[in-house]
Amino acid sequence: MDGVEKRSGELLELHRAGRLAAEYPRVRQLLTDLPAVDLARAGRLLARLAPDDVLREHPATPTVSVAITGHGTLSALPPVLTAELGRHGLLLRPFLADFDSYVFDLGDAGSALYAADPDLVLCVLDPMIVFDEVATPWQPADVEQVLDEKLRLIERLAAGFASRARGSLVLNTMPLPRRFTAQLVGHRSRARLGAVWREANTRLLRLSEQQPSVITLDLDPLLADGVAASEPRMSVYAKAHLSADLLAGYAREVGHLARNFAGMTKKVLALDLDNTVWGGVLGEDGAAGIEVADTHRGEAFNLFQRVVKQIGAQGVLVAAVSKNDIEPVTAVLDEHPRMVLRVADFVQVIANWRPKHDNLAELAESLNLGVDSFVFADDSAYECGLVRHALPTVAVVALDDEPARHVERLLYEGWFDVRDLTNEDTARPRRYRDDLARKSFLDDFDSIEDYLRELEVRVRLARASEAEVARVSQITLRTNQFNLTTERLQTSDVQERLREPDAEVLAIHAADRFGDNGLVGAVFVRRAEADLHIDNFLLSCRVFSRGIEQACLASLLRHAHATGARAVTGAYRSTAKNGMVREFYPRNGFHTERDDGTAATFRHGLAEIAAPPEHISLTVDLGGESA
Amino acid sequence: MNTIDDFMAFVEAELGLPVTADDATQDFDGLAGWDSVHLLSLISAVERRTGRSVSLADALEAANLADIYRLTARS
Repeated sequence: MDGVEKRSGELLELHRAGRLAAEYPRVRQLLTDLPAVDLARAGRLLARLAPDDVLREHPATPTVSVAITGHGTLSALPPVLTAELGRHGLLLRPFLADFDSYVFDLGDAGSALYAADPDLVLCVLDPMIVFDEVATPWQPADVEQVLDEKLRLIERLAAGFASRARGSLVLNTMPLPRRFTAQLVGHRSRARLGAVWREANTRLLRLSEQQPSVITLDLDPLLADGVAASEPRMSVYAKAHLSADLLAGYAREVGHLARNFAGMTKKVLALDLDNTVWGGVLGEDGAAGIEVADTHRGEAFNLFQRVVKQIGAQGVLVAAVSKNDIEPVTAVLDEHPRMVLRVADFVQVIANWRPKHDNLAELAESLNLGVDSFVFADDSAYECGLVRHALPTVAVVALDDEPARHVERLLYEGWFDVRDLTNEDTARPRRYRDDLARKSFLDDFDSIEDYLRELEVRVRLARASEAEVARVSQITLRTNQFNLTTERLQTSDVQERLREPDAEVLAIHAADRFGDNGLVGAVFVRRAEADLHIDNFLLSCRVFSRGIEQACLASLLRHAHATGARAVTGAYRSTAKNGMVREFYPRNGFHTERDDGTAATFRHGLAEIAAPPEHISLTVDLGGESA
Repeated sequence: MNTIDDFMAFVEAELGLPVTADDATQDFDGLAGWDSVHLLSLISAVERRTGRSVSLADALEAANLADIYRLTARS
C-alpha cells in the first residue's frame, strides 16, 4: 500500500528524536493500513513509550488499561496490542503479569493484577495448559480429564473475577495443533480427542453466556483463515505457545473490543453504489446492464449486498452515497428484480454530484452523529483518498475491482462489533428513518415551540429493570455528547449498581407521534447522607433538544424533595465531545460548587424547582423511599 | 546484513533500541533498554529479513548482540 515505508520511517524518526509522546495524535494516521509486519515493528517502538508521558502531553487521549496473563510467554502481545489500540487512537496502559501466573493473578484477591484495576484482563489460554500436564503415553480420556480439571479451574477463576473486579475478563478458545492429534495413530481415537477438545472450547464459549464479565474470543475463525496456531521452536525453547501471527490476530480482535469499551464503535456504514453494491456504472450501463446476480461478478455483488443487509439488521445505519442522479438510483434499488438491498434498507440514499465528503458531513449532521462514527466503503481509490483527506476521522474501507473480496474487506476491522446486541439495536435503523421524517416535519413549523407541541413527546422515567441492563450499559458505551461524566459501564457494572442499596439506575423512555424512540437515556443516582447525588446523566443524541432532559431532571428534583433529601448534587467531567452539556446543571437551577475547567460539581438546594416543560407528557415511576 | 554495522542498524530500527556498533559486545545485562523479550522478536525479524532459519536454542544462550550476529551469519 502507498506510503507504508514513508509512514514507518516517520514513526522511527519520531522515536529516534524522542518525539513520539509529543506527536502521539499523529500516530493513529501513521499506523493506518500498515501491513502486519510493519505494524508489529511500530508496536515495538510505541511500547517503549510510557503512557503517562503521552497523557502529560495529551491529557484527553482515551486510555484503556489492559492486564495480560496466561500460561506461556506472552511478550509478543504488549507491542502488537499497543499498535492495535494506537491504530484506533487509543492509548494502551499495559500490565504484563509474570510468566504462567494466571491462577495466582486471578485467584488471589490481593494480586498485583487486581491492584492494577484494569479495564480488560486478557487471560491467554494455549494448548500447553493441558498438554504440560498430560503424562506420556496418553489416550483421549487422559486429555479429557485434564481438560475437565482446567475448565473447572477457569470457571472458578472467572467467578472469583466477577466478584472482585470491575472490568471484563477475556478468555479464548484453545487451538489444537496437528502435532498433538497426529500422535494418535488411530483415526477413531483422533476423532475422540477432537471431540473432547471442542467440548472444552464449547464450555469456554458458553462461559461468556453464564458470566456477564467474561468475553470468550473464538480463535477458530482466525485459524481457519490460515494463521498458524504455534511455532514449534518458540513453543519448545521460549515457552511462547501461540505464534506471533496468532497473537497479532488476537490483538486485533481485542482492539475492536477496546474500541467498543471506549465508546468508539462505528454506527453508520456509508456505501458507494457503482462497482461497490452492484457491478457496472448505472449511468452508463443502465438498470438492465448492471450486475447484481446471475453472472460470476453479479454473484459476488449479491453476496456483498446480503452481508450489508445482515449488518443493517443488527443496528448499523446503512446509507448510500453515490455520484449519480437520484431518480434512476431509487428506481433500480426498488425495481430491479434481483436486487437484495432496497431503498428501505438504507437510512438515507444520497445520489448527487457533490463531493462525497460534503454528503457524509451533511448526513452526519442530520443524523445528529459525529462523522467519526462513520465507515465509508468505495471501490474508487480516488474517492477513498478524498474522504480520508477531508474527513480524517471517517474509517475508510478501500475496496477494489475484485468484488469477491468486498465482504472480507468490509468485515476485516470489526468496525461495528459490540459486546451485546440489544432489542434497541434491531429497531435503530427504523428509528433513525423516523428521525429524518421528524426533521422534515420540523421544517414546516415557524417556531420550535410549535414543533415540540405538535410532536406530542411522551417520556417515562423509571427504575431500570433487569431486562434493560444491557441497553443501559450500551447507552453508557455509545453516548459521547450528552454524557455528563463519560463513565463507561459494562453490563456487570450496571447490574452491580442495581444491587447497591443506596444506588439507583433510572431509565428514560421516549416516544412521539412518529413512533417509539425506546430506551433513550439513563440517570445514575446515589443517596449520600442527606443528599441525592447524580453520578451520571445520559441521553441519546437522537432525542436532544426536545425538553426530555429538563423533564427528567425536574421530576428527579421533585422526587428528591418529596423523599426528604436536603439537596441534589451532580458532576461534570469534560471530554472532547461533551462540551454541549457543560452548562446542563447550571442552566437548570444548580449552582456551581467547584470547577477546575475539566471537572465540576454542582448543587441544587431544592428550594425552587422548575416545572417540567409543558409540551411533554411525563410518567414517573421512581418507586419508594430510596430514590 | 553483511557486516556487524548493518546488523546493529537493523536491531536499532526493528526494536527501537538506541544501539550502535560499539554496543555489539556489551552483555545484554548492561545494554540500556534491552529486555529478554526482545530476543524472540529480533530472531523472527532476522529470519524474515534473511529468509534463513536461526537456531533459537543457540540464540537463547547468546550473551550479547555480537553472538546473535554470528549465529545469523552462520545460518
